[in-house]
Amino acid sequence: MDVTVNGASHLLDPDAIAIDLIRDGLGLTGTKLVCGAGVCGACTVQVDGVPMVSCLLPCAALDGRAVTTVEGLSGEHPVQRAFAAHDALQCGYCTPGFVVEAVAFVDGWRAEHGDVAPERTMIADAMAGHLCRCGAYLGIYAAIAAACAGEHDEPGPRPARIEAMEKVTGRARYTTDVRLDGQLEGVIVRSVKAHAVIRSVKAPDGTTMIDLLPEDRTVRYAGQPIAAVTGTDRAGAIAAAAQVYVDYDERPAVLSPEQAQRANAPLVYADKAERKTAPPSGEGPVFPAKWNGNVRGPSSMSWRSGTADRRITKARESNDHRLVDATFSTAVQVHTALEPHACVAHWHDGELTLYVSTQAVGVVAESAAKRWKLRDDQVHVVSEHTGGGFGAKTSLTNEMVAAVELAKAAGAPVKVALDRSAELTAAGNRPGTRSAVSMLADAAGNLAALTLDVHSEAGVATGGQVAALGRLIYGTAPRRMRDFDIITNHPPGTPFRGPGGPPLAWALEQSVDEMALRLGEDPITLRRRWDGNPKRHALYDWAAALPAWTQRLTGSQTGRFRRGVGLAAANWMYFLDTGTKLELTVEHGVVVARCTVQDMGTGVRSVIDGILRAELDLPPERVRVEIGRSTEAHGPASGGSRTTPSVAPATQDAAERLRTQLKAGSGSVAGLLDKADGTKVVGKRKRDRRGYVTPFGMDNLSMGRGFSGAVHVTEVEVDTRLGKIRATRVWGGVAVGHIYNERLARSQCEGSIIQGVGFALYEQRHVDPATGIVLTDNLEDYRIPGIGDTPEIELHFHQEGWEHVQGGGVGLGELATLGVAASVGNAVRAATGWRPLELPIRPDRLLEGLRP
Amino acid sequence: MSLDAIVTAAGRGGELRAGGTDVTARQRVGRATAPFIDLRAAAELHGIEWRADGGARIGAMTSVAALVTDPQLRAAYPALSLTAGGLATPQVRAAGTLGGNLLQRNRCWYYRNPRFSCFQTGGEGCPARDGLHLYSAVIEQGPCIAPHASSIAMALLAYDDVYADVHGRGRVPLADVYGDGSDPTLDHLLAPTDVLLAVELPAPTLGEAAAYHRAIGRAEGEWPLVEAVARLVIDDASVITSAAVAVGAVAHTPLRLPEVGAALVGQVATSADLLAAAALATERCSPLPQTGYKVDLLRDTVLEVLERAADAVCDIPPHVRRAD
Repeated sequence: MDVTVNGASHLLDPDAIAIDLIRDGLGLTGTKLVCGAGVCGACTVQVDGVPMVSCLLPCAALDGRAVTTVEGLSGEHPVQRAFAAHDALQCGYCTPGFVVEAVAFVDGWRAEHGDVAPERTMIADAMAGHLCRCGAYLGIYAAIAAACAGEHDEPGPRPARIEAMEKVTGRARYTTDVRLDGQLEGVIVRSVKAHAVIRSVKAPDGTTMIDLLPEDRTVRYAGQPIAAVTGTDRAGAIAAAAQVYVDYDERPAVLSPEQAQRANAPLVYADKAERKTAPPSGEGPVFPAKWNGNVRGPSSMSWRSGTADRRITKARESNDHRLVDATFSTAVQVHTALEPHACVAHWHDGELTLYVSTQAVGVVAESAAKRWKLRDDQVHVVSEHTGGGFGAKTSLTNEMVAAVELAKAAGAPVKVALDRSAELTAAGNRPGTRSAVSMLADAAGNLAALTLDVHSEAGVATGGQVAALGRLIYGTAPRRMRDFDIITNHPPGTPFRGPGGPPLAWALEQSVDEMALRLGEDPITLRRRWDGNPKRHALYDWAAALPAWTQRLTGSQTGRFRRGVGLAAANWMYFLDTGTKLELTVEHGVVVARCTVQDMGTGVRSVIDGILRAELDLPPERVRVEIGRSTEAHGPASGGSRTTPSVAPATQDAAERLRTQLKAGSGSVAGLLDKADGTKVVGKRKRDRRGYVTPFGMDNLSMGRGFSGAVHVTEVEVDTRLGKIRATRVWGGVAVGHIYNERLARSQCEGSIIQGVGFALYEQRHVDPATGIVLTDNLEDYRIPGIGDTPEIELHFHQEGWEHVQGGGVGLGELATLGVAASVGNAVRAATGWRPLELPIRPDRLLEGLRP
Repeated sequence: MSLDAIVTAAGRGGELRAGGTDVTARQRVGRATAPFIDLRAAAELHGIEWRADGGARIGAMTSVAALVTDPQLRAAYPALSLTAGGLATPQVRAAGTLGGNLLQRNRCWYYRNPRFSCFQTGGEGCPARDGLHLYSAVIEQGPCIAPHASSIAMALLAYDDVYADVHGRGRVPLADVYGDGSDPTLDHLLAPTDVLLAVELPAPTLGEAAAYHRAIGRAEGEWPLVEAVARLVIDDASVITSAAVAVGAVAHTPLRLPEVGAALVGQVATSADLLAAAALATERCSPLPQTGYKVDLLRDTVLEVLERAADAVCDIPPHVRRAD
């Protein structure tokens, strides 16, 4: 049996799987393995010109056929140019699959129809077998339409995302693509029990195995790492892992929030010492709180809470119609970065090199140095491209520990990459929540009192802060804001894009909407009165003028399909890493920028490049950005939307310093570079005017002055017969000041909105109630939005109000997703008269809600 | 490998493999193990033949995409083509086959998870019944509540006199391939050594209109909550002269609903008639705690396909034609 791959002939093992031949056998790593179930399309190749998923294709099916991978395309196919030109990608991990499919579609389309753009729905149907977690779908629509119309037959200008061509050609190398000489594969052995003390772990003689259990030898969720073993390849490592015998001393487990709160429920953490080992579910410090069995809290951020409580109690007694009482819930949402957590560890001459998929190169380097007792200069962390993170890749995680320990034990480089099941089970999630809201307006329609009790369900993790965020919006009316954790034997929650924000908005913004209905008032009018944030006021003005808002239907509708428009506001903090530095060196006539920062698809590489070229007036070939490795120039972790507001001002400062150093005056410095080899400057992140809210940074995180604001207006179409909700159009207004790279900022916001739609309508982790095993450990059952679920999106950037900040702008990657689900909820209410309380608004829930 | 060699190999054990999309997916989660016996090389399983009586014999290795795009099949059996065009994704339709689709295993998230044991995997009990069964069957047939996964089987059951040609056994009525769903260890009743050669369809019905609907939460690429297909013939006086309805994702087997068809024949296709007939579908339901929504959804999905078939708005979008 043989096959031709990109023109070269190869022998086949009929029972091998095509993707293993392509990636491991032939080293064609542009083809990505993501879901292994034929759902996401990242592994798509053409077989005799027809796109197929290579993860489900036995090599037997390739006999005598010609396979084309992304590497086999010209590299300058109009589709590749179009993807780059329309920024139809972010992290780039799904991109080769999309490109391979789109090439077949576009070529076929043009042959049949000529150079005309197909309708949006045709593109959606053709791309239905692909998923992009970053949510680059609008760019993908535009790119495919433009390529069909023949707009990219010639090379175009440089794309807004400077590494775009690497990503559309499959050349971009991710951690999962790294293969060092002599590299072994490691696999983590995970608990199949939700709660047990591990008596012993045994592997056959000759197996390299390391321990991953905590000190108390207790596993507290199914999927928790126990040990890790190596093999010469992945199959060998999996076989070795299957040989490991784990002796479980099973303990009673807590497998639902209801069970956790019952009297005499078993305890997840038995005593104070055990409680201290609970991982944090959020970012920043976990405030102390008292424990009551499996419930921890409250942790309060209140203001005149007694007054708030009294007013609400009184209003309830008098059946005051200006009291909104409701309980909202949100499901556990899983990050689902398409590149799994992955690490290749390599010990050499007492030094450690780590290739990692991370959004925090610097944090990983520091933590690794500390953990393995190395000097900073003995640890090298590399993350050239990161295939998505969304908050789940901000620390030294257990696949890194496993790889490093295994590499040490085996005396060879070791790769550990999570499979999709582990990624969707134990690699982090946004905790579920249950939020009881009471909101009272006074006779003048002002906010009189607000109480919010939020129970976060982060499995074994603690520190949920949802209600606390409600302290920061809608003025200074009395309020009692309390956060509780309900601890269960479920996998731990972790930070996820705007931790706490979307669940808060789901409860708060629907309550505000309900209050507007009670008061017979336009929801924008009410928010203008309640909300003191001037930046959001500018967004209210913008939203109020949208035709979709002024012409929205407000009365009750009949008929099968109903449309509604809903609005939600959001508030977020401005974080930065004040210690950020950026180093510029002139090397062979090129200005090389270095910083310990990483690009997980957000585009900081391009932001740095753009600033340098503008400030120094340089052509593209005179600037090179080297990020994604630990260097002497400290840079931020990409969390808390702090990357751009930290790095961009440091880049500006570095550019000014270089100009001074070169004695360049104004104009281009290009002419001076050839004689300036070796010139080096370090730019710093200069202090904001009036400093920061936090007097000093904690873990390199400082909170700056001012709150960013967003307003989302969403239109939905509800099929009341078959229970389907479509978000048809979304308008996103974002007030973060100066936008450094508009195209990439748009991509971030579009992706934020699409993830918000997923949170609103589809995404829900399900856990088996009897065993604690995650059932949605695959991309069929864990449902993220596809291209056909993408609304049309219009964005508005309000760029004023941040003049006190260096560079004039702050981050937006979290802000832009916070209110989306709430706006969907309000839109569903407007369309149907039924207010959804539970997320996601699944078809069965909608049908139940609409039942007469 | 010749058909004889395949049959011999199958007799020694191993799993037959057509396009491999389902086998490979199960291989990845430990629900299928080598050896695999590839059917691709057997010429007997390929091709579409048109018999003298006007009916078609479709080789088991015919790709799902070909069911969508073959012009003669589309014209003759619109219910089959529409259904095939609505399942899975373009890449899977291109690689998957008719035979593989008919004989695929169920999608229950307990069955597909190697950490669980159930009737289907040689164990006892059904963890879905006591656990999470949001996507399970709403029509009780037996101890296993995993819905059948084959949309194409459902579409084929909407035809009378459809046969599976099984090597060594001859023509088996397709409904007998699935039985009554009472055996919880199986998704179909063919033996591991039975090679499905082809499916035989009766001569096309003149003037029929068909519709398929897959009720899902997202736009595309999802296993159905409920699916239904309808075939109607309506005469010049707007009277329904022939009607067939089949449904999927609601029972352990794909199901024809003869009672719905019978209620429609002789009726004028008013919306009240269609609704009354569709409502009959719910009489078979006995929902579990989490599948109650499927009762109304079944009725309304049947209503959806009846209305669309009655309106004869049932062409296949042109973009689907690409993948042949």
